[in-house]
Amino acid sequence: MNLYEFEGKELLRKHGIAVPKSVVLHRGEDARKKYSELGVKDVVVKAQVLSGKRGKNNGIKFCSSADETAAAAENLFQMNIRGQYVAAVLIEEKLNIAKEKYISIVYTTNVKQPMVIFSEAGGMDIEEVPEEKIKKQLLDIRQEKSASDVPLAQELWNCFLNEDTRQVEINPLVETSDGRLVAADAKIAIDDDAFFRHPEWNNLEPRTMMGRPPTERELAAKKIDEGEAYYRGTAGKYIELDGDIALILNGGGASIANMDALAQVGLAAANYTEYSGNPPREKVYQLAKVVLSKPDLRGLWMCGVVANFTNVKETFLGIIDALDELKPQYPIVVRRDGPESNEAFALLTECARRNNLNIKMFKKETGMSETAKVLAEMLKA
Amino acid sequence: MGILIDKNTRVLVQGITGKEGAKGTKAMLDYGTRVVCGVTPKKGGQKVEGKPVFNSIAEAMAQFPGVNTSVVYVPPFAAKAAILEAIENNIALINVFVERIPIKDTAYCLAAAKEKNIRILGPSSLGLVVPGVARLGVMGGPLVQEIFKPGTIGVISRSGGMSNELSWQLSKNGLGQSATAHVGGDLLMGTTYADLLRLFENDQATKAAVIFGEHGGSYEFEIVDLIKKKKYTKPLAIFIGGKFASSLPEGMNVGHAGAIVARGQGAAEKEAALKNVGVLIAERYEELVELIKPYA
Repeated sequence: MNLYEFEGKELLRKHGIAVPKSVVLHRGEDARKKYSELGVKDVVVKAQVLSGKRGKNNGIKFCSSADETAAAAENLFQMNIRGQYVAAVLIEEKLNIAKEKYISIVYTTNVKQPMVIFSEAGGMDIEEVPEEKIKKQLLDIRQEKSASDVPLAQELWNCFLNEDTRQVEINPLVETSDGRLVAADAKIAIDDDAFFRHPEWNNLEPRTMMGRPPTERELAAKKIDEGEAYYRGTAGKYIELDGDIALILNGGGASIANMDALAQVGLAAANYTEYSGNPPREKVYQLAKVVLSKPDLRGLWMCGVVANFTNVKETFLGIIDALDELKPQYPIVVRRDGPESNEAFALLTECARRNNLNIKMFKKETGMSETAKVLAEMLKA
Repeated sequence: MGILIDKNTRVLVQGITGKEGAKGTKAMLDYGTRVVCGVTPKKGGQKVEGKPVFNSIAEAMAQFPGVNTSVVYVPPFAAKAAILEAIENNIALINVFVERIPIKDTAYCLAAAKEKNIRILGPSSLGLVVPGVARLGVMGGPLVQEIFKPGTIGVISRSGGMSNELSWQLSKNGLGQSATAHVGGDLLMGTTYADLLRLFENDQATKAAVIFGEHGGSYEFEIVDLIKKKKYTKPLAIFIGGKFASSLPEGMNVGHAGAIVARGQGAAEKEAALKNVGVLIAERYEELVELIKPYA
């Protein structure tokens, strides 16, 4: 999960990296009051978004009074910066900048270890900095000492390791005119899979990168995989999209292939959803209810591979529970196979009969992409 | 022939007393894989599928010194300790089934394994099937005999489901597999596409390979280098999922953990780079079969 700048800077500060004096302005709060709380004349007012080139897209304003700050904040809250929703605004002391540098730690996939990247030239995209001006040093994840000679490497390494991040980036890392190094920005992604050793992450507000606040359905889906049995199957993935075809897909890989297949037959997904890893009936039921609750659906495509170890009967029972409850009348196409699929298909056929569903079912003899075409044709009829 | 496993493979199951561990044990035994024992801390003395359970790998290997492969079925928060225990005991091949391991723990284990020249397949890997010989893990499930047929196509997939699905599409059309390997969907992979292609290059049973790849990450680009350096010279067909994701914001994760939307790492960009070095590109995954058939 990506952190907002103000959250990232809290982590940097915790690990001994200087950050500018600042206050966070949430939607609905009084900007003038916040400005006076900060007690600094010249400030930078910055949109808080989850990614994107904020500076180039007018997401940063310079102000020198409470009125200017209030106007700038109001303006920022109405923006969508490269598709990103502005969740908050950070009001920060303006630094006296002598130099802008760059530092980050990321995982490099070819050596499968973290690497510190440092450049004397910062403030722009690191991709735009000439290669010879960039210092790259591999770090050993098993060592708490960073073994890097670039400034702040040890502090940033402590942050990277102790906060279970996937990446930490400070750009620009400002050298002030009085010679201090200050993090003027923070781009940090935390590793969601390490949540069990970070109870403090529960306090982070829910977020999505879809350019809006998370929807009720997204929030409800996220809860499905929470709790002690979080690793027993994945069933909490739901991203709300603009289309009208409900999707219940299976597997991280097959699901993205099927998103492509759906687009190829000219249909638009109402959501991205997949469950996998043999989740229990109850989790699948909760997920199916979320997917089917979106208004104005025109069809449902339940499409999965020949499962390896996910019990098709057990998971279909969860779907059937939801179908019995909601009885959708639009066309439904199902493609699935694997452990106990004969029993699963018999139960689904029964469910279709008692609820009078308009449903077509396929097993492994028919390819997954083929069944997208079947749904497209049912919708034309 | 085949890769990584053969009739001499002796498997120890870590987390054998758990639900998925027991299922994996049964799946392997049913396919003729020599599972010899298992480990679950504090549950030594029990038996699973007739195989003895020990408290530690050291205890297990005192009785079964021939163990050369481990499959790991433990909860994600216990994975690091389990994998490191296998590494300490010099088990040459470790298949990590566990999903959702924190990336820091994975990186730690991969660094420790590399130092000892130990191969990790995974994490988040359902394993490997060498049809007619043996399987690691649960790939194929109860339908394994129907889905996998001995043959000449090497199959590599980022997705467990697609490993099965692709093997099935091949078998259905009369093409058998020399081996099917699931590399797992995480950002850091113990064994990459390129690693497996090197093995397929040297495997006499393999005449050609197919791959299911995904948007995000840079592993597909390693294949380009491998082919340019002529370290893989057999025909190769690939399908890369996730074209729809190019319309989503950069940094967003859709699909597996490693599938992060990033400029330069989209499905279309990967296809273009691979096409340039002669790799056959499938528009739909089912097309992989037609593309590779002339070379089987």
